[in-house]
Amino acid sequence: MALIWALAVALLLAHNGYLWLVKGVVPDTDILALLPVEQRDPVLQQAFTHMVDAAQQRVIVLVGADDWEHARTAADAYNAVLSKHPALLQTGIKMSEQNQQDWLAPSQQMRLSLLTPAQQTLLREQAPKYWVDTALQQLYSPFSGPKLGAWQDDPFGLFSGWVQARAQETPVRPRDGYLFVEDKGRPYIVLLMNLQQPAFSMATQQAVLPLLEQAGNAARQAVPTVELISAGVVLHAGAGSAQASREMSTIGIGSLLGIVLLMWLTFRSLRPIALIMLSIGIGCMAAFSLCWMIFGQVHLLTLVFGASLIGVAQDYGIYFLCRRVSVDPSLGSWQLLRRLLPGLALTLAAAVIGYIGLALTPFPGLRQMALFSVLGLVFAWLTVIFWFPALLTANTLKSSTFAAWVGQTRRHWPLLGLNRGSALAALLFGIFAVAGITRLTVNDDIRSLQTPPKALLADQIKLGKLLDAPTPVQFYLVRGATAEQVLQREEALKQRLEPLIAKHLISGYQAMSNWTPSMREQAANRALVTQALLAENGPLKALAVQLGEDDGWVAQMRSRALNAAADANGGHDLTPAEFLKSAASEPSRHLWLGKVNGAQGSVYASIVALRGLDNYGNLPVLKQAAEQLDGVSWVDKVSEISSVLGYYRQYMGWVLLGAYAAVFLLLFTRYRGAAWRVLTPPAVASIATLAMLGLLGQPLQLFHVLALMLILGLGVDYGIFMQEQSMQRDRFAWLTVGLSAASALLSFGLLALSGTPPLHAFGFTMLIGIAIVWLIAPCFSQDLQPEKEEQNANKN
Amino acid sequence: MKRNMKRSLAAVLLSVLLASPAMSALAAAPVEKIQSMLARPPILCGRFDQTKQLVGIKKPLLSNGRFCVVNGKGVLWRTLQPFPNTLRLKRDEIVQMQGGRVAMRMDAKQEPVVRMINSVLFSLLAGDLSQLDTLFELDGSVQGNSWKVALTAREPALAKAIGTLALTGGAYVKTVTINEASGDHTEISFSGLQSGSGAMTAEEGAAFE
Repeated sequence: MALIWALAVALLLAHNGYLWLVKGVVPDTDILALLPVEQRDPVLQQAFTHMVDAAQQRVIVLVGADDWEHARTAADAYNAVLSKHPALLQTGIKMSEQNQQDWLAPSQQMRLSLLTPAQQTLLREQAPKYWVDTALQQLYSPFSGPKLGAWQDDPFGLFSGWVQARAQETPVRPRDGYLFVEDKGRPYIVLLMNLQQPAFSMATQQAVLPLLEQAGNAARQAVPTVELISAGVVLHAGAGSAQASREMSTIGIGSLLGIVLLMWLTFRSLRPIALIMLSIGIGCMAAFSLCWMIFGQVHLLTLVFGASLIGVAQDYGIYFLCRRVSVDPSLGSWQLLRRLLPGLALTLAAAVIGYIGLALTPFPGLRQMALFSVLGLVFAWLTVIFWFPALLTANTLKSSTFAAWVGQTRRHWPLLGLNRGSALAALLFGIFAVAGITRLTVNDDIRSLQTPPKALLADQIKLGKLLDAPTPVQFYLVRGATAEQVLQREEALKQRLEPLIAKHLISGYQAMSNWTPSMREQAANRALVTQALLAENGPLKALAVQLGEDDGWVAQMRSRALNAAADANGGHDLTPAEFLKSAASEPSRHLWLGKVNGAQGSVYASIVALRGLDNYGNLPVLKQAAEQLDGVSWVDKVSEISSVLGYYRQYMGWVLLGAYAAVFLLLFTRYRGAAWRVLTPPAVASIATLAMLGLLGQPLQLFHVLALMLILGLGVDYGIFMQEQSMQRDRFAWLTVGLSAASALLSFGLLALSGTPPLHAFGFTMLIGIAIVWLIAPCFSQDLQPEKEEQNANKN
Repeated sequence: MKRNMKRSLAAVLLSVLLASPAMSALAAAPVEKIQSMLARPPILCGRFDQTKQLVGIKKPLLSNGRFCVVNGKGVLWRTLQPFPNTLRLKRDEIVQMQGGRVAMRMDAKQEPVVRMINSVLFSLLAGDLSQLDTLFELDGSVQGNSWKVALTAREPALAKAIGTLALTGGAYVKTVTINEASGDHTEISFSGLQSGSGAMTAEEGAAFE
């Protein structure tokens, strides 16, 4: 058997080696891959990918200085470093010398059809005198401000006003071939860069971060007072990875040392730890290989959680080792195994049943995790069964005094019984549990899972303020059967957004219909201008009187305006398709999804993006704005991902309860009336942990529930060992539990020290839960006469 | 990111005066001379007469009023005839008042180019040629006590948008001529110039606060 197993392991080793070394596989890190496939709304999915894919590859750096010359010098120094690595970062979106005059030509030709909402209101409400005054003022003023083309083409300044409104969709302006923004008199040059490699890849982070640092140093060297503000997903991802690897080295080394010391004290040999590592290692490799074959991809989160859930597998090895030292050396290892097999099989079955529940959820991530854990456990278990007896003979391990002492301490634990003390303890625990759990809150907000370094966050906030750019994760998705319908629906939405701008909830919006209104709106605009300004005895006529011009002049100006509109763009209205061909459309292209294949055939879709959204408390109001508007939906990916985490948490919670029930049934087949004794310690520990979280004011999240799963897995093992002991009169079970619990605390509990919120949550739960299980497990043993145990000990 | 819109809009629309990447090293000799001829007092006020000739309008548009240029504060441009209108340029904003009502306000926060426009207009009225040199190509000549300078924007797109400027003067700027590409033509002449603390009326002083 051992040989067959060696063959299987060799195969696994080869396959792993092939995957990692030859194929160079990388675990999937895309958090969206964990979400249920959104077959219901492919348009939405596409819109989001469209917005986010571009955003996460972007790095923006603002180079600020006291004056323009210094800012330029610093920006040039910065760019000089980066331009040597075009394969990594694409930089230098510098302006070309091309003539920008014609950019607005399509819009300019259609000027009569383009009005801002404010202009529409003024045209409806203001008396003719207002327009005459406006025209005269522009005529006489020496610096009439923005002016486009000939006076005759825009006598009332409507087109200038429209263009100005478009320009104010962003504070960024060109200067000397750079882009810049200004804040309190300080110029900031805007450097836009695009990562050429995925932002979440560690390799990218390790290459890009030092490069940006180097570029920053070059800029500082050129201009010591330079101010650099950087933002980009890769910076956050990089900071996260750096923190993780820092913690890995401190927490990881700490726990490894602790475990080695523990094993040494117990067995006076390092072989046990090597054996346990071997079993877990084989488990992990098998799980990875098989998951890869089944899913074609393994997610990073699966690896992290799966590997920790396989931690339960240490129990099998520890159990065997402890029993080996405790029994008579004359008993052969294979015979010992036969004796232990029922208990071992039960522990495996309990864990598998628990984790299989995860596979029943609709989430691909949880399914993968379940399969990974179960496979890992089975392979680790089989390694113990097939190899440990061969590798460990009675002489390999010696019982140490430490081990003996630990085994003895059990006597000091009180046993739970039908007495006053037990009742009091139960009552106190009940009060504690109720008090804590009623205070328990939940928080699935994905933002609470990130703790970016303060400086990075400050930069991000400042940059957001300076650039006033729209958020890529919250926007409106507008759908319609035709492009015209989409534009009309955008316009209906914009009418609802205008009041929100007035209330300063948002500072503005970007929409395709800002540039190309629907044909209906264009016709209405033309009618409005014609009626309000060009009418028989309207402002144009009054203006002519003021300027001393005759009726011929009025007629000529009138036909000039109307003919321009009729002749523009070959007599066609301005449409998105036309507009997208012009250079002026480039900044708006990301808003227009165009024809998209949806669930019910193809539809047209567009995005309306929001600027100046700085208070997340306003999100419900924005969501409300889209309500009851046909074809308009509010997309908030942050809350969507958060709600997926929430679903994961809830599903996990039910799976956990289901697992308790299933495990109880399984235990009942062997222990009958004593089955509750096995299951109560982890249950009590879980309740206590939840109560503790409630009392500490820490909200419950997915990662706490995942840890509770592991507490069940380990806790049941301890209960089984203790029960087996009761049946087989073995005092070394207590040592088994102690060793296993201590190493679980060292390996998982120490994660409570982590600064990464999910790891901290996981570690903290493990720390409290496992400590409690360990402490109370003996209390639930069946009554044994102390003398009897003493005798047993003496016999050994 | 809407970088291209930023490019096109500001350049074309806002009459922003962009400097070319390559700055000319030093102003030509006559420009230096003109510079030395200018008095450049901290406060300068006076009367202006403006003649605008627009394509499509037969009669020239005549207007006049008072102006003040205050070093470090900005420019006040008060049209008195044919109807009152006040334009005030400060470091961070442009405000246009019409009959006591704010007709237009643009501040640097909304429109960063405001500050550049203001600095150029200030330089034009104060005759600060060294400032203008970064933005325009200067072609000047001196004759006795008077001088003239032609200014052409270094950025071609901008030159197309605002046309050419010409200044004449002696110790102060006397006339400003603007020839736009569209054929529109504006001429402003200054007279009755006063400098020093008494130059500004109380009303004008208040308008700056």
